[in-house]
Amino acid sequence: MRLIFTLFLLTIYSSISAQINESIIEFAPTFNDLPLELNKNYCFKNDSLKISTLKFYISNINLYQNNQLIDSVSKKYNLIDVENPETSSIKFLRTNSMAFNRISFSNGIDSLTNVSGAFGGDLDPTNGMYWTWQSGYIGLKLEGQSKLCPSRNNAFIFHIGGFKNPYNSIQNVNLSTKGDRKIILNLDISKLLKELNLTEIYEVMSPSKKALTIAQQFSNAIKVYE
Amino acid sequence: MKIKVTFFIILIFVTFVSFVMQEFGLIYPSYFPKPQYDFSKNPVDSFKITLGRNLFYDPILSADNTISCASCHSPYNAFSHTDHTLSHGINDQIGNRNAPALFNLAWQKSFMWDGAINHLDMQPLAPINHHKEMGETTKDVVRKINASNFYRSLFYQAFKDSIATGERMLKALAQFQLTLISANSKYDMVKQGQDSFSTQEQNGYALFLKNCNSCHTEPLFSNFNFANNGLGLDTTLKDFGRWMVTKNSTDSLYFKTPSLRNLSFTYPYMHDGRFKKLSDVMNHYTNGISQNKYLSKELTKPIILSSKEKIDLIAFLITLNDKHFVFESKYQYPKN
Ligand code: HEC
Ligand code: HEC
Repeated sequence: MRLIFTLFLLTIYSSISAQINESIIEFAPTFNDLPLELNKNYCFKNDSLKISTLKFYISNINLYQNNQLIDSVSKKYNLIDVENPETSSIKFLRTNSMAFNRISFSNGIDSLTNVSGAFGGDLDPTNGMYWTWQSGYIGLKLEGQSKLCPSRNNAFIFHIGGFKNPYNSIQNVNLSTKGDRKIILNLDISKLLKELNLTEIYEVMSPSKKALTIAQQFSNAIKVYE
Repeated sequence: MKIKVTFFIILIFVTFVSFVMQEFGLIYPSYFPKPQYDFSKNPVDSFKITLGRNLFYDPILSADNTISCASCHSPYNAFSHTDHTLSHGINDQIGNRNAPALFNLAWQKSFMWDGAINHLDMQPLAPINHHKEMGETTKDVVRKINASNFYRSLFYQAFKDSIATGERMLKALAQFQLTLISANSKYDMVKQGQDSFSTQEQNGYALFLKNCNSCHTEPLFSNFNFANNGLGLDTTLKDFGRWMVTKNSTDSLYFKTPSLRNLSFTYPYMHDGRFKKLSDVMNHYTNGISQNKYLSKELTKPIILSSKEKIDLIAFLITLNDKHFVFESKYQYPKN
């Protein structure tokens, strides 16, 4: 009797959870095809480097079936901080049952939010993603050390943002997806660092042409994991 | 008899009302423009104001608990800092600019001498995190506030939740600062028909309207735009003002036009505090303008004032002092 009751509860539970229809977008940063580890020494023949911080905003995620917008993720601003693995997954509930095969989102924070004062949650300034000496969100923080950098302690520090033209750094990313339950997005950091050219550019901390280029390189590095 | 009294009361009421506007709990004269601050995102509430006032006067916002906002923005100086040409922060470190007076902030479009900050809410992040001002981090300040029983109850009253967050701290600080309204000077009394200018002040007013009002626009005495008012570059500071924010060389030596209310309380003057007296300022505008390439066009034609006219103009500027504002107890150190 008790068993039947448990089975009954289980069937109800599973049918409810199927209706709830949760999807997930997960960011999986890698270094030379292995999961990125913060503060780990990566050695090469001409460089030895480590990454100490990787944080970025993903905002306004929309879901499409072919070219038709069918749904969007209700949490508009998501801060991904590799130091807190739970932030790497964006879980969301679908509002309809239509399958999607394409997603779009922005890297960084839109200009309206940048001029509208204080916000909480992922946008709270205690997250360290807001400039203090001038107004504006930092869309991407990437910090570490590399033998290639001629700077003090061989440090590189990229605080990428800017919401005003000509240095509006927000980038739109558009990707075709295979399934629509769990989308894993890869970010090849080793490839990105090669493109960044650390011997010459290792300190970008305000809106500028360089910041814009890095924002573009970063969003180009986001790929759907095959 | 009774009708007469009622009529009289209504008359007083009507005259009073016509000079007073209420915007989300803020009271200001009807001849002020509409505020710039979007109150719908941070509706004014007396508990939030109280919380903000406590934070404003609390050195907990600095790394070694020595410096509060009021260390540089004193109520008796219309929330500026008079002893120092340049601001004076943690461990006696000297900053690069003069601490401006704080009042009528709800009408400002941007903040700091160069407009680097676009919203009043976000302004405190600058002094809190500046190594020469309060030397803290936003995260650590919020941690310290969360560890204090005193603030737990203030946050609860203000936000129905005792947890401090960066957003709540900033919104409360903004609310207290938004209440700092200066609109009780002699000039305001004259505007409201309750006082009149002396001949000298009237003459000064005319000179003001002719020479100064294009930038220091009444009734707030600033249009809050940026201008290059012909101050030569101080080569020890190399402060190019707005240029550093917009990265546009035509903004070289542009600074935010400050209000001219409360000048007797806010000396020294200009972004680097280079002038001690109003007479120095007069001499600057008549004889000291440095004809640099990007000088604002309003000042390219020389301003000619006789020494009597300078005195008259200063007499008018003095009517913009607001003692009620400076001595208002609800703006001062909170006695709980
Ligand atoms: C060490 C001195 C110092 C401290 C402490 C300080 N300020 Fe200031 N404040 C300044 C200076 C200097 C400026 C002008 C800065 C600039 O133009 O770059 C300023 C500018 C401002 C402005 C902009 C005013 C305008 O008209 O643009 C506001 C608002 C302000 N401060 C509020 C605060 C608050 C709130 C605190 C406490 C969290 C604080 N200040 C702490 C020195 C200080
Ligand atoms: C082109 C616009 C413009 C005009 C016209 C102008 N000013 Fe100014 N004024 C400014 C700016 C900008 C500043 C701040 C400059 C700085 O600190 O670098 C300023 C600063 C001041 C200050 C210092 C206020 C403080 O709190 O430090 C006084 C006083 C002043 N002006 C008075 C006058 C008078 C009197 C006149 C008319 C004779 C006048 N101004 C005309 C733009 C102007």
